[in-house]
Amino acid sequence: MALTSARLLTRTVHEKWICAHSLTLRPLVCINKAAFYGEYRRPGQAQDRTPPWKKIRFSFAKGVQGIRKHFGLLKDEAMERWVGPQGRPLIEHMLEQTRVQWEFRGPESLEQWLVSTDREIGGRSEAYLKLGRNDSACMLYGTLCSTPPRDGETCYSGYCTLRSRQLLSSFDRKKNIDWSSFNTLYIRLRGDGRPWMINIAAETYFSHQKDDLYNYFLYTRGGPYWQDVKIPFSKFFLSSRGRIQDNQHPLWLDKVSTIGFTLGDKADGPFQLEIDFIAVCNDRAHTEEFAYEMYKRNPEV
Amino acid sequence: MNPYVLTTLILSLGLGTTLTFASSHWLLAWMGLEINTMAIIPLMAQQHHPRATEATTKYFLTQATAAAMILFASTMNAWTMGDWNINQISHPLATTTVTLALALKIGLAPMHFWLPEVLQGLSLTTGLVLSTWQKLAPFALILQISQNTNPALLTTLGVMSALVGGWGGLNQTQLRKLLAYSSIAHLGWMIIILQFMPALTLLNLTIYITMTSTMFLSLKIMASTKINSLALAWPKTPTLTTLIMLSLLSLGGLPPLTGFMPKWLILQELTKQDLPITATIMAMSALLSLFFYLRLCYTTTLTTFPNTNNTTSPWRLKSTQITLPLTITIILTLMLLPITPAITTMF
Repeated sequence: MALTSARLLTRTVHEKWICAHSLTLRPLVCINKAAFYGEYRRPGQAQDRTPPWKKIRFSFAKGVQGIRKHFGLLKDEAMERWVGPQGRPLIEHMLEQTRVQWEFRGPESLEQWLVSTDREIGGRSEAYLKLGRNDSACMLYGTLCSTPPRDGETCYSGYCTLRSRQLLSSFDRKKNIDWSSFNTLYIRLRGDGRPWMINIAAETYFSHQKDDLYNYFLYTRGGPYWQDVKIPFSKFFLSSRGRIQDNQHPLWLDKVSTIGFTLGDKADGPFQLEIDFIAVCNDRAHTEEFAYEMYKRNPEV
Repeated sequence: MNPYVLTTLILSLGLGTTLTFASSHWLLAWMGLEINTMAIIPLMAQQHHPRATEATTKYFLTQATAAAMILFASTMNAWTMGDWNINQISHPLATTTVTLALALKIGLAPMHFWLPEVLQGLSLTTGLVLSTWQKLAPFALILQISQNTNPALLTTLGVMSALVGGWGGLNQTQLRKLLAYSSIAHLGWMIIILQFMPALTLLNLTIYITMTSTMFLSLKIMASTKINSLALAWPKTPTLTTLIMLSLLSLGGLPPLTGFMPKWLILQELTKQDLPITATIMAMSALLSLFFYLRLCYTTTLTTFPNTNNTTSPWRLKSTQITLPLTITIILTLMLLPITPAITTMF
């Protein structure tokens, strides 16, 4: 009895010591990635404390397939260097004035896109992506619901987004798109009259820039006719985590990562957007470098 | 930028390099390198564009790492050998570490990955300073430790840099990245001959600085940062377009232009040192670099692309930019080969 109570006391003291030093010990023992990268966690959801080694799903066949795929991509990259920039002769790069970057002509084209809604944060919007008639366009459709999730923290809700996947080269390295020969975005689409926002993400290296996006508005005209939208890249403004930045900078086109379309117009109900293709072109008549003021505010006296 | 701040930063750049030149103690040399780094950081981030700050951060991290390695190596040498003198560094590990640190400072392969990205994020003027002035202080140290460095390491760094510089620049359409890979290749040539004749390294460095200055200043006058915009520069400045072509051929090392001089002398020295294979590899890697210089000449001067300019014929108004430095560097880039004997006596 005395021995049991002594053991209990010792254990309790030991536990107390662990608790007292947990603030210092825990960062040394297991690094909280979420704290470093600022990952979003739904309110009320417990933190994922699974150690990394438990998340491994080892598969020999998958490994062999991966090796074959990545070395194949590496070999292609090495060979295409002998041809020219991005695997095409330089003369093509020099003479190019238009380029269709994304078009929806088959089921494989939908694999390049990601659809997400506020369902991830507990909302009730829905969005789906499918191919249109005759496999000639994609249709993004669904229902928007701006009722915020009842988690005590979230105030606003009601969005859906369609974003292109990040292109990857061999060994899952990010591959960027070079649009430096062009100055205008050209989209052929058919909407339902709702205002959308186009988001272009450029390549960002450091974590403080990872939420930087260049945005512009897309006003769709509902109706049976297709709409050709031309937006110069000089019109895109810089925002970070949804907040427009005071210090504005033009979009550098040599390293573009993804393009996305977001709907968040606080109008509950069904929506629909058909996209035929997304292209870039070089409008020689457009000479504007940047549409927004870059003057120095509060200049030194 | 406030002119007082700009003056302070430029003078600090000069101070840092001078301090490294004048020092015989590792600590003072390290201090000079750090002053250089700190002085150029605000100049690089002047634009506040996300890419400029990204380039500045990358530059700072690499240079700080290299400086820390230099400090570590010199301290290690002082601890083991009892000597802080720059040219008395003799501990093998310290020598190797400081060589690798200086290679990281200047962007030699395989420590070159930062250079194209950093140069791409900067304006042409800052890129010029980074490619020329910022190389002087590390090279001063490299020249002083040349007799104690591992010859195999120097050969490896040199050959790898020449090959990587040629291979990496092959399909670049952004001119700043192209000049970064050109820089890496030229640094390879400088390092390969360091162990045999440091004077040739110094000669190569001087001529490289002249040729790179010509290129950067020309691109600044034309306001071109891409091959496409350079291809449309011929109606704006036809004379400069022709001179750019010749400057690119000089960078490629073709006679009778100045750029042939260092390559010729280096290959001659390598052959004298019974290293024909190394000389052959270096010459072949120069062909890779020559390919993309020739491609640039082709698109700039030797062909007229059907792409139209924004105007039918741009007005050739008197330029408001200062062209005297470009004039001097162009003449030096194109016309020094005949006086090679006089130049070699200077080094």
